[in-house]
Amino acid sequence: MPNAIKTYVRCVDAVNRRVGKFALYLVFVMMGILLFSSISRTFFDVPFNWTMEMAQFTMAAYYLLGGGYSMQLKAHVRMDVLYERWSERKRAAVDVITSMFLIFYLAVLLYGGLSSTLYSLTYGQRNYSSWGPPMAPIKIIMVIGILLMLLQAVAVFFRDLAKARGKELV
Amino acid sequence: MSNEYIALLMFSTLMLMLVTGQRVFGAVGFVAAVSALCLWGGTGAAEMPFNASIGLLNWYPLLTLPLFIFMGYMLSESGIAGDLYRMFHVWMGPLPGGLALGTIVLMVAISAMNGLSVAGMAIGTSIALPEMLKRKYDKIMVTGVIQAGSSLGIMVPPSIVLVLYGMIARQPVSQLWLAGVFPGLLLAVLFGGYIAIRCKLNPELGPPLPKEERQMPMKEKLQLLYAGILPLAIIFSVTGLFMIGVTSLVESSAVGAAAATIAAIAKKRLTRKVLDNTLHMTLSVSCMFMWIILAALCFGAVFDGLGAVKAIEVLFLEKWGLGPWQVLIMMQVSYILMGMFLDDTAMLVIVAPLYIPLIISLGFNPIWYGVLYTVTCQIAYMTPPFGYNLFLMKAMAPPEITLVDIYKSIVPFVLLMCFGLALIMMFPQIALWLPEYYYGT
Repeated sequence: MPNAIKTYVRCVDAVNRRVGKFALYLVFVMMGILLFSSISRTFFDVPFNWTMEMAQFTMAAYYLLGGGYSMQLKAHVRMDVLYERWSERKRAAVDVITSMFLIFYLAVLLYGGLSSTLYSLTYGQRNYSSWGPPMAPIKIIMVIGILLMLLQAVAVFFRDLAKARGKELV
Repeated sequence: MSNEYIALLMFSTLMLMLVTGQRVFGAVGFVAAVSALCLWGGTGAAEMPFNASIGLLNWYPLLTLPLFIFMGYMLSESGIAGDLYRMFHVWMGPLPGGLALGTIVLMVAISAMNGLSVAGMAIGTSIALPEMLKRKYDKIMVTGVIQAGSSLGIMVPPSIVLVLYGMIARQPVSQLWLAGVFPGLLLAVLFGGYIAIRCKLNPELGPPLPKEERQMPMKEKLQLLYAGILPLAIIFSVTGLFMIGVTSLVESSAVGAAAATIAAIAKKRLTRKVLDNTLHMTLSVSCMFMWIILAALCFGAVFDGLGAVKAIEVLFLEKWGLGPWQVLIMMQVSYILMGMFLDDTAMLVIVAPLYIPLIISLGFNPIWYGVLYTVTCQIAYMTPPFGYNLFLMKAMAPPEITLVDIYKSIVPFVLLMCFGLALIMMFPQIALWLPEYYYGT
């Protein structure tokens, strides 16, 4: 494997690990926002109209930014009736071919995300709700998450390619 | 006719992809994206996968997913659920199949603490399963027990599936939750009865605990009983606060997650390792779930765009000229068939808006139908090839449990659920008595 690819894989792994470790704690942000909303409404009779959407946006950031790291954690299940019976090397070889499908899906997802974000930026799109926040910021975060997932999928592809050729990519 | 061919094509492609062993979300998403591009082309089709994520963004009840997963892992990692399990372990262990029975009771308790089957599955696979395997319980039976038991999570309040149903059918969620109580218990009793009878006939499936393990002073036994009190308090902090209207549905999931964390701190069990594991597992399971839902929503949108659902409606009423009960039964069957390859929440959003008005106009009670729907979802969750529980189970179970074992294990429990479903159909009061009593309607 050329050194450029090795460097790429190492970099992507490192970036996604850091972003993922950050995303881990977003679950506390969601919890905090919702607790704040219920406490302020119940005890102080002060309802807020932004809490639900804010929590919801946090969740989108959570699973999209955490996506690449979740790939590293091997969180994504496979239909492995046959898969589990194959050797390491055969699995890697099949994965090399089928990760093209994964990469294609993520690319289409990224394309849709970019075009939707551009639309939001151009027309200053706001959410249909009483709070009506601008949609561009959250969409940008989502696109970053999808991009990181795509980069990770490509890194995984290289790793599998190396493994299929009988080598380990560090 | 071309529509049917396309549906068939999509289904077979999906099958092929899944057999190659690629990540499920990648396989589903790829087929959906390619079909959208081939069928409609252009920018609109290329944006379909991403639009699914915007759909998720405005779907508030989904917020409860990571929070209830967090809560479930916090309870299991910190050993609070383990205490509860040990309580059943000691008190029910001497019976043949007692640990499996205890697991069912544990699952009912856990179901009352979360709205999906994930947490029950997590606790079941991480605590109950190793214990039962160690004591030579039949591998296939216990796998089935955990899956069937954890599926009660979507029936016993707080139930996410009933929340989604309530939104679409415009029925009060609290009544739906109450309606789910007795059917949930009925299913638990059916599962328990099945285990008890099978273990009585063939004690090898679930040998009773050896004597030395259960000799324990009464005082310690009572202390273990005390361990069950904390989870009860958590149950009430989630369901209770919502039922009396203090917190909204989503907020109650945050209250539950916080309550579980506080309980762990109070028991001095919240170590760095527990927190780290909980956070990592929450991210893994939430990401797995959310990415599959993301892909499945796009898949569903393509399927919907093909008019597959509309075709079913025309088929029922016009082509086959069915009566009300026949339509109802056909709907349940079609749900189970669709549930095999569609996400059940996506299914609810696509199919329910067509089915529910039809059900109400045919004179059926919408609350009762919500319960029928949920049992059907439970069955669909567990039926191959695309049951979510099957995948979750595979992801969480120890490696010696293969997918084939999991497929085999669910058969008797699916039959029991079908029987339960029939009972609730014949005797609607099983579901309706409690909400009618509570609300005096």
